[in-house]
Amino acid sequence: MANYKIHDNPVRDEWLQKIDGLRTLAQGAAFLVDFRKKYTTPLRDDYSLELDWGWIEIKIEEKVAMLKHHELNDQQFLNNNTCGANAQQVADAVVAKMAACTDKYEAEKLHITFRIENKPPIMPVNVFMDTDRILGTKLMELRNTDYYALSLEQLRKERGVKVIALQS
Amino acid sequence: MAISTATKAATDALAANRAPVSVNAQEVHRWLQSFTWDFEKNRTKYPTKYKMANDTKEQFKLIAKEYARMESVKDERQFGSLQDVLARVDAAKRVHPKWNETMKVVSNFLEVGEYNAIAATGMLWDSATAPEQKNGYLAQTLDEIRHTNQCGYVNYYFSKNGQDPAGHNDARRTRTIGPLWKGMKRVFSDGFISGDAVECSINLQLVGEACFTNPLIVAVTEWAAANGDEITPTVFLSIETDELRHMANGYQTVVSIANDEAASKYLNTDLNNAFWTQQKYFTPVLGMAFEYGSHFKVEPWVKTWNRWVYEDWGGIWIGRLGKYGVQSPASLRDAKKDAYWAHHDLFLIAYALWPTGFFRLTLPTAEEAEWFEFNYPGWHEHYGKIYEEWRARGCEDPNSGFIPLMWFIENNHPIYIDRVSQVPFCPSLCKGASTLRVHELNGKKHSFSDDWGERMWLTEPERYECQNIFEQYEGRELSDVIAELHGVRSDGKTLIAQPHTDKDGKLWTLDDIKKLNCVFADPLKSL
Repeated sequence: MANYKIHDNPVRDEWLQKIDGLRTLAQGAAFLVDFRKKYTTPLRDDYSLELDWGWIEIKIEEKVAMLKHHELNDQQFLNNNTCGANAQQVADAVVAKMAACTDKYEAEKLHITFRIENKPPIMPVNVFMDTDRILGTKLMELRNTDYYALSLEQLRKERGVKVIALQS
Repeated sequence: MAISTATKAATDALAANRAPVSVNAQEVHRWLQSFTWDFEKNRTKYPTKYKMANDTKEQFKLIAKEYARMESVKDERQFGSLQDVLARVDAAKRVHPKWNETMKVVSNFLEVGEYNAIAATGMLWDSATAPEQKNGYLAQTLDEIRHTNQCGYVNYYFSKNGQDPAGHNDARRTRTIGPLWKGMKRVFSDGFISGDAVECSINLQLVGEACFTNPLIVAVTEWAAANGDEITPTVFLSIETDELRHMANGYQTVVSIANDEAASKYLNTDLNNAFWTQQKYFTPVLGMAFEYGSHFKVEPWVKTWNRWVYEDWGGIWIGRLGKYGVQSPASLRDAKKDAYWAHHDLFLIAYALWPTGFFRLTLPTAEEAEWFEFNYPGWHEHYGKIYEEWRARGCEDPNSGFIPLMWFIENNHPIYIDRVSQVPFCPSLCKGASTLRVHELNGKKHSFSDDWGERMWLTEPERYECQNIFEQYEGRELSDVIAELHGVRSDGKTLIAQPHTDKDGKLWTLDDIKKLNCVFADPLKSL
């Protein structure tokens, strides 16, 4: 239960303090990816930050971007992920997996995981945006093929939802 | 007299090589088309399942010089009327008070749609490869900038010259309090700019503009004029003159992908989803705005809807695209059912939640109730009696200690929000087609009100992450939320929203609301 104000609230204050404690790029990047895994996307199972995750994520991204600015040179800034890996190679590997993928749920996981692990400032924007476009295009194609083939009942089962109420 | 050899020679030479006295606009347009690129190596920034053809034409062939000349004439007429004759005849004060409130919502929300359309058409410009098609989208981008300013100007004009400016003057910060905002963002924002670029075009141009701008921008001018408002027709009809080109752009988007194999696989699904997305919000909200936000009625919303949405758009406009494989959306039949009762259902909830608005709402008068019953037989038995009870309990008077939301709670009529459309519904009260279904995924509960939306969520859940007002405000007291989100007038205590437009009626304050001790609760938690 979120009985606090929308914009200035104790949850955001608590996270600002944690973010303030981040001192190195490696530390910041790991913190950001861990936060995204735990508190964002439909794959998460922790909704305790439901109202504030978007704001907090942006604040972590701001901090990581500043740490990146301090630690990376221009060459690295354009070509490397925060961990030092070659960004294009990371992207190519995911694109290859997606190209071979024929299952829409698998494709969804690939795309969401790519975003969790690489969304800027982790990966340079120039590489991330184009990769995201390619992955998104394939995901949309898989999702929209035979869109009405399954009944709602089958689709609920496939998605793995627990039906709480169904009004006839 | 015989023409001299020299004169003839000169005349012939000029006929063959025209002196460059002026350049024909269409010549410039043709010349612009030679600015094409090698699209084998070029790419769009946005994902799409479709490939737009490289030789697509556009119908209006405007160039910037002609465009600017045309629009400046329109602007001169519009602003001239507003600032001169309409100001002198005190037009803004002649508007019926109920309609004045309606325009707080209509113009401000449309401003958001126009603003997002700037981005949407920019995206389409980037996605298209044919120079002509790009040119058409570019003109629309400029239009949308114009329209955004125009919509903002309507609210500015009303707040400067009209009656009860609160709401007109600060809607941009107060509009987010209530439940109508998020549904509007779904159609006007997410629908226009998220996901597949071509699907966005279908949402914006093929459905939003070709289908719903007729009821939204044209019908609204009839209702406005009937209720003494000369300002809205002056601006909105000027906007509408540009919409035809936008509809043509939507048509050309479909033409550009007609030969693409992807069209046969995806196009009708995208159209169906786009139509359902747009209608799910516009059908009830526009009907509510017209019929409950006016004193003088034009015609029943269901008739307007049938004529423009069902027959003109679903039949004629989509019929013209039949040769490209486009079919009328399968969801059109279900939407038709909603066109009869959905706006009545929505007004019940909107009035119950009136303190969260940035406008004043009014219960139907006896005369209006008669009109409703005449045009929607059965209205009084279901809705009219409830309004009579609320009125008898003093819902308009701050001393009554009663807001209709309390009636919903007392009578065990929980209000849910549809996760996909963000439109509120009350399954135990609604006469429209909504039915409740609640699912849990990874420990989170989601409510839905129809098959089409549920399928969209099951397919693409990450798109519908938006928290609804019950999740957002859960556990908070109503006046506290209103105060934090600036829902008060300049005295710092009187609410902008009010449950009446009676100029002699008492106005509700934050203290009046606080006394009720209304605390938000998420209905899904109790399931």
